[in-house]
Amino acid sequence: MKMAGKTGDGRYQKRKISAKQKLWILLILTLLLLLAAIFAESICPYDPNMQNYDMALKPPDAAHPFGTDRYGRDMLSRVIIGARTSIFSALLLVLIIAVIGTTVGVLCGYAGGAVDMVLMRVSDVCLAFPGLVFALAIAAVLNGGVGNAILALAAISWPKYARLARSQTLAVKKAAYISAARLAGDSPFQIIVRHILPNIRGQILVTAMLDVGTMMMEMAALSFLGLGAKPPTAEWGSMMSEGRSMFQTYPWVVLTPGIGIFVTVVLFNLLGDAVRDCMDPATRKERGIL
Amino acid sequence: MGKYILKRVLMLLPILFGITFLSFAMMRLAGSDVVMQQMDTTGMAFSQEVLDARRAELGLDQPFLVQYISWLGDFLTGHLGVSYVSGEDVFASFISKLPATLLLTVVSIVLTVLISVPLGILAAVRKNRWSDRLIRVCSFAGNSLPNFFVALLFMYLFSIRFPIFPVIAGGTDLKSVALPALTLSVAMSSRYVRQVRAAVLDELNKEYVQAARARGIRFSVTLWKSVFRSCLMTILTLLALSIGSLLGGTAIVESVFMWDGVGKMAVDAINMRDYPVIQAYVVWMAIIYVLVNLLTDIIYRLLDPRIRLGGKEA
Amino acid sequence: MIKRWMILLMTAVLLTVSGCGSRSPETGTDAVSEHADGQKTFVFGDTTFNAENGEPDINPHNENGGWACIRYGVGETLFRFNDAMEIKPWLAESYENVDERTWVIRLRDGVTFTSGRKMDAAAVKECLDALVSTHVRAAGDLHIEEITAEGQTLTIRTEIPVPALLHYLADPYGCICDVQAGVSEEGIVQGTGPYRAVSLTTDTGMELEKNENYWNGKPKIDHITIRTISDGDTLTMALQSGEIDAAYGLPYVSYPLFETGDYTFTGCATSRVFFGAMNYESEITSDPAVRKAIAMGIDKEGFVETLLGGNGYPAVGVYPDTFSFGGDRVTAETYDPEGAAQVLEEAGWTDTDGDGVREKDGRPLVLRWLTYPSRQEQPLLAEFAQATLGAIGFQVEINNTADHNRIRADRSAWDIYVSAMVTAPTGDPEYFFTYHCLDDSPQNDGRYHNDHLEQLADEMSRTFDEGRREQLAVEMQQTILNDNAYVFCSHLQMNMVAKATVTGLTAHPCDYYEITVDLDINET
Repeated sequence: MKMAGKTGDGRYQKRKISAKQKLWILLILTLLLLLAAIFAESICPYDPNMQNYDMALKPPDAAHPFGTDRYGRDMLSRVIIGARTSIFSALLLVLIIAVIGTTVGVLCGYAGGAVDMVLMRVSDVCLAFPGLVFALAIAAVLNGGVGNAILALAAISWPKYARLARSQTLAVKKAAYISAARLAGDSPFQIIVRHILPNIRGQILVTAMLDVGTMMMEMAALSFLGLGAKPPTAEWGSMMSEGRSMFQTYPWVVLTPGIGIFVTVVLFNLLGDAVRDCMDPATRKERGIL
Repeated sequence: MGKYILKRVLMLLPILFGITFLSFAMMRLAGSDVVMQQMDTTGMAFSQEVLDARRAELGLDQPFLVQYISWLGDFLTGHLGVSYVSGEDVFASFISKLPATLLLTVVSIVLTVLISVPLGILAAVRKNRWSDRLIRVCSFAGNSLPNFFVALLFMYLFSIRFPIFPVIAGGTDLKSVALPALTLSVAMSSRYVRQVRAAVLDELNKEYVQAARARGIRFSVTLWKSVFRSCLMTILTLLALSIGSLLGGTAIVESVFMWDGVGKMAVDAINMRDYPVIQAYVVWMAIIYVLVNLLTDIIYRLLDPRIRLGGKEA
Repeated sequence: MIKRWMILLMTAVLLTVSGCGSRSPETGTDAVSEHADGQKTFVFGDTTFNAENGEPDINPHNENGGWACIRYGVGETLFRFNDAMEIKPWLAESYENVDERTWVIRLRDGVTFTSGRKMDAAAVKECLDALVSTHVRAAGDLHIEEITAEGQTLTIRTEIPVPALLHYLADPYGCICDVQAGVSEEGIVQGTGPYRAVSLTTDTGMELEKNENYWNGKPKIDHITIRTISDGDTLTMALQSGEIDAAYGLPYVSYPLFETGDYTFTGCATSRVFFGAMNYESEITSDPAVRKAIAMGIDKEGFVETLLGGNGYPAVGVYPDTFSFGGDRVTAETYDPEGAAQVLEEAGWTDTDGDGVREKDGRPLVLRWLTYPSRQEQPLLAEFAQATLGAIGFQVEINNTADHNRIRADRSAWDIYVSAMVTAPTGDPEYFFTYHCLDDSPQNDGRYHNDHLEQLADEMSRTFDEGRREQLAVEMQQTILNDNAYVFCSHLQMNMVAKATVTGLTAHPCDYYEITVDLDINET
């Protein structure tokens, strides 16, 4: 982004050079974030679950740069360890819904007929079903926790991808090269894998990247309704929800996990944009024209 | 057209059946019931006789399917029953909460459009300039704040620091709706600004815009006459999605601001396992879903006659 | 063109919004007493006045409606509690316990309902008859066989001896209201209290006017609004912004915001206690040493001081020390982590593999802690105990779920069940044991049994003498504490925070009386 110039032609000129680089920079940053999440335990300055009541609710200082919470736990350590739960659960969730949704969508779009009819009615029921009822019921049956929150959110979020993939498949299906492939004797499976998926994966990937942040928000909302991570698990959304009463009195307890969410959301959004810029053939072509 | 609408409305039936059964089954699976929940919240123990009497009174001692069929029978004859918790008629109390949710929906949508469309266009036109970047950073921030936190932030800013709006809704009036609507539109605008920006950029890159520019037509004219109209589709699609979820009530924002709408009602009902109210809510969601889809299709068609009705059917 | 149109639209909306805003300074001060027309108003924010708490309205015969009826000064009972939780006549003047099953109650003269009707024995009989015919719990408590009314004299005859009858009559369900005036569509009843309800909306609130004909003094506020605000943070902000004058149910962490001198606090211990019941069918908690170690391993003072910010009372036994048979009339294990470790060590629980968790016969010392989230203190207590018990070699697995009622019935799924229960809703000690600790108690999920306790309970159910009942209450508490069958962690502190201009708002240990005739708001 820094490379972009000010004037019309110049900015596209420079942007063209930087698009790939930008993607790489963002990929490296994301990788760093993921690595930090994986090795969270070794990075934490303190044991994130260590309670120390003499140190409860201390404002940020040199020893505890993010302050401490009401149990006297180091907030920096909890935010770091929380990265693992928060980022990986969001990624896992997005992965699940993108895969299930795309599969269903492509199947419906390609097969049409009864398959399409039945699967789309199922997705209608899922879309029309209030997520709240679903989430609360799942949480009550399976007793909260991050895993079950993922399950609940997955159950209501996959139809979005199914619809996206279905409409994209319908559009691609009419293209001449698909008919050509069919005439050449390719099996439906081959056609889907070789011709349809490569053409719709860009849109799906970009949507998925943007959804990482959305899903983090959804998890936070579930925590607010009392369905968050099980103690003492640190998860950003639950931490914000638990600390919200302290935002006037001990603001660091609620703001520091917020920083974690912000950084992650920004990173995945930028990455999504960068991926779109690099992958979408249409954008590439138009950039050429300009 | 009439036939088409009829077909779409008939589609409501399987959805209605599917989701009412699903919700009934799930709430049953979720364990506990209204009698137990009341014992928790009040901290008063009941004797087994009291528990049994209450359950028998509400029909909770019946097998699950019997309960569902009995509910379905009542529903088909136009009865939604009475709330287990308040003892009030479900339909009446549901209707009494609708205006609040409708007002909140309308105001949030208007605010969202007013925020996201101009900012989105501005960001697209000024792509990669400071104003674009500022808008994008704001949109990232708006996307990464949970709405319960945004609500608290706004309450603190606009009710305590600068006492302009009340913390708790005094009723369904414009002054009370301001903060809940603003809270909702922050999250929505943050998402839509980016999508409007992308849509406008797509249009700007099209050949006719370049051609118009080459012919010496003022850029602002092209922008408003052609680009904006083309982006309307994107905006409408987004709005349709949001209106659907807003009409379903926004559980958290309504609860936080004591906004007496259907979302708050639903959360309370779910917490208390108040089955008749939950079922009414689920029915409402199904109706909104089908109606919003129908309306979107019709508007698409009005905007773009090339689209055949039914072709976009979900 | 569209641009101009949009600018116009935006300006219009901004104007509307700011126009609404500019009106707010006057409306914002609504909450503060309005002196313009010499009328005093008061707005009370409460987290509990909702259907979820069984208070959809103020009809005492409808679930817990009596709580709202008595708290907000609409209804009054025949007897009430003083600050030491002793029973005193209220709408009654005196009583006589003629025999084990007959009570003669003389009613106060000169009391009228807000409907205008005089409160006489006939009116009270109608009310109590209606109560026991609709309120299952009341019927089960009172065992009324027959009530006779004559002038101001009420004679109650019970089916079996009910030693605690007067206590039960002081329960909020015992609010005396005019049954002939009936219950309005909104659930409003006509009581005898200092205030009269004029309108009510379930889960939203209620409007009250002063009762000009109140029998016991002149109410000082003209108009009171009760506002249901279920979210603690919203309640905090509403009090900060001045929209409400007093609040019940603020989160403890917001208290520092009000420790500025502009607000007053009133609080006291209630009989609601956070306590753990041990599962006697679990292989872990059926071991007396483990139970003892748990009792010694929870730092009650630390919990109350740090996590509740001092807003609570470390518990010893079942009742807080506001009760004559509560507080340290009994003794329990005190916090002693080294001692607890010793107890476990001696019982054969040792950490052989060095992972910090003790084992015995190959079984790790895993404590499954079942609790539920609807009380803000419970998750805190669970997480707190997870750490302190963890330090002495337990591995505490918390199951914090709204579905606890189903799970606790399954004795293979938990070891300790932590809940918050009111132990003496009517000031009488019998209730807790009857419901929780005996062989036939509905809530005895841990299958605790003690022969001696059964005998004492049997004696209590037949004892009318208050002094003897107290002795029995102490002895019964000590019995369950000696067994470490229950561990009582803390008593809930009921708190109200009000603007400093508010006077006469005092917390009461029974949690029933909030708005009284004494309530006033002064000019500054």
